[in-house]
Amino acid sequence: MGSPPFFFEWASRLLPWLFPISFLILMIGLVWGIGFAPSDYKQGEVYRIIFVHVPSAILGQSIYLMMAIFGSICLIWRAKLAGMFLRSAAPLGASFTLIALISGAVWGKPTWGTWWVWDARLTSTLILFFLYVGIIGLYSSIDNKQRGDRAASLISVVGVIIVPIIKKSVDWWQTLHQPSTFSLTSSPTMTADMYLPLLICVIGFYFIFVSLLCNSLRAEILTRERNTGWVRKYLNNKVSE
Amino acid sequence: MNNRNTLFFWFKLILKRDLALSFKKIATFLIPLVFFLIVISLFPLALGTENSFLSSLSPGVIWVAALLASLLAVESIFNEDFRDGTLDHFLLSGEPIFILVFAKVFAHWLVTGAPLLLASIISTFFLFLPGGLVLPLLVSLLIGTLLLSLLGAFGSALTIGKTAILSAVIVLPLSIPILILGVAIITSAINNQDYLSYLYFLGAMLAVGIPGLCLATVEAISINYD
Repeated sequence: MGSPPFFFEWASRLLPWLFPISFLILMIGLVWGIGFAPSDYKQGEVYRIIFVHVPSAILGQSIYLMMAIFGSICLIWRAKLAGMFLRSAAPLGASFTLIALISGAVWGKPTWGTWWVWDARLTSTLILFFLYVGIIGLYSSIDNKQRGDRAASLISVVGVIIVPIIKKSVDWWQTLHQPSTFSLTSSPTMTADMYLPLLICVIGFYFIFVSLLCNSLRAEILTRERNTGWVRKYLNNKVSE
Repeated sequence: MNNRNTLFFWFKLILKRDLALSFKKIATFLIPLVFFLIVISLFPLALGTENSFLSSLSPGVIWVAALLASLLAVESIFNEDFRDGTLDHFLLSGEPIFILVFAKVFAHWLVTGAPLLLASIISTFFLFLPGGLVLPLLVSLLIGTLLLSLLGAFGSALTIGKTAILSAVIVLPLSIPILILGVAIITSAINNQDYLSYLYFLGAMLAVGIPGLCLATVEAISINYD
């Protein structure tokens, strides 16, 4: 599993299935959520942006956790594939976090009346985005790929230890400076009609993430291993086809 | 001489060398200090000079200035030794890198962090911080600048040979808890609230940060020497 050629073949076989399946799940979730779920009694139709917002926020956080796990694998066992995972996952994680921030702002304008509030949750998501940018900046500035992998692994492992402290301190900062004006947790508890499509959307986003990840991992493997025999063979076969 | 073999001997040696180098070039410890005071004096110029307004802003202003000042100076911790080969020699000597990192962080703090404490007292006059708050300010800055030196060493070890701005982008988000807690200590002292709990938490972060961040820095240095 850890060897790049094995993963490459496995991913190539899986990808033609992964993309259609994830699009299907996402379509079901989004069409159900946006088209058929009942509208919120307080927020009206605006709330429907949560079917994009919540899954991307969840992914933005869990991708960071995954990166820390794979980062420690990369540091401890020097697994090449774990380093490649980090490189492929970081831009995806940053994008999902950015989608969460932007969709949150779009939702906040009609609901709260402003694009942005310094709410604890928003602030820690913004900081998460900065952490992603730092990781991407770090590994892309290091020419040696192996060193870049390990540096990015180290910063994500250290980061994931500090992230809970950041979250906690941001919470304190909120209670210290101003009462939390808006809170996502105080919104009315959802009915199953809203909850189920949201769940499907979350699953669909995970599938999309895995598909995109496998896709960019394949590209990463091909570039990194371009001087090895099996990549030459593979490319020759592709050309002759 | 068997005391050559103790770790403390190496600690003292590196500390002495770093301090001698810093005091040879007056810029290394004077520039961050002046930078700190310049940033402090920018705020009244930008925001107006009303006393009560400035004094309510002063904890945040002092802390942001301290954060920036100690991060700007951080690039010099490993970069010069990396360029002239001293770092290679130390790694070849077989002594634990941990002690190198430890001594270098401490030297960096003595040269840039400790003078900031002094400058922060001057800045309280600029920003009209009430006089009774100097103690919480100093204690919070004492722990905070130590933590910032540790974090900065980690960032600069990760980005050896790269631009300082990259290490700032990496380290600044991670230093947000220090900033929040440091400001919280002073603000709750202003409001006559109990600030010790924040101070304890900052102290706990330092207690974890000294071994934890030093180890991370060691790992970051060794990445450059595979």
